[in-house]
Amino acid sequence: MAEEKTRIDFNAPKSLVERADSVVDILDISRTRLLIDALEDELEALADDEAFRRRLGDAYYDGRVDYKTVEAILGREEAMRMKLLEASIDRTPAEPQLADGLPSDESFYDGDIPEWRDDSSSESEDESRA
Amino acid sequence: MSGQAVAVVDTNVLLNLATPVVDRRARAPSGADPFKALLAAYDVHVPASVLGEVTEATGGEDLLATAADLVLRAAHQVTTHDVDDRTDEPLEYGLDRGEAEAIWLANELEADLFITDEFNTTNYLFVSLALDDRNSLFTSPHILCTFAAHGVLPSEFVEAALSYYVETKGWDSQYVAQLRQRYLVDGENA
Repeated sequence: MAEEKTRIDFNAPKSLVERADSVVDILDISRTRLLIDALEDELEALADDEAFRRRLGDAYYDGRVDYKTVEAILGREEAMRMKLLEASIDRTPAEPQLADGLPSDESFYDGDIPEWRDDSSSESEDESRA
Repeated sequence: MSGQAVAVVDTNVLLNLATPVVDRRARAPSGADPFKALLAAYDVHVPASVLGEVTEATGGEDLLATAADLVLRAAHQVTTHDVDDRTDEPLEYGLDRGEAEAIWLANELEADLFITDEFNTTNYLFVSLALDDRNSLFTSPHILCTFAAHGVLPSEFVEAALSYYVETKGWDSQYVAQLRQRYLVDGENA
């Protein structure tokens, strides 16, 4: 269970450390515990943050972070999905073959193509743009 | 037929490709028909349940219903298979019936392509696992890029369509950007 630990030292604003120490006293936990909890909460929040996930995805696709990192932050399923999608990009689909170009709409759809317009909002928008 | 590659597709692929064809808003890409391109360029097969799901989507006044209407107009171009009760096995995971049956059919036909748009969620993992040949797994944006590369659809249209889907369907923009880079920028876009 006991995971290997690594020691970190860092400087922080004095007032922040004082506030943290007050909280630590009240909760009756160690300063280390508070910091670890805070870090875990922050990492968890980032994993749910769309903008962060996007940046992580960019970093993964660009080769700046590896699979293990993505897995540790986003979880195995999401990491697997990204890995499989990435692998799929280099696959070449069977070649499309058109006998005589695309058929006409009339023969293909047996009549006119149904159309949809957003009557509620776009009417004025479209007209002002026209 | 006639030597065309066999493609099995799921409900969302049909509806997604038909959507820009019927969408007359200014934001929709125009000038080409990706749905028709799919059905004309490949030998497309579906389980009956997929057309059932498309039928369920008709009847409304909204964009999806109009797209579903278009799909049904061309349903005779698709080979439909009755695969009732073939997927009781643990194939379904979190997948809906049409999806599960389409995967079953792709395995049964040893299809050259299985096309799904379930790539935004971890459903993609289940599809990957359930397909006998993972190398046959493709998505609509991948196929659209392939059409651009082979001149089946204009590259400009595919560019616009990809942006449209990312905006309106929330498609994974990074994945789409990768495809763009691979097929539209480096490819035969010159």
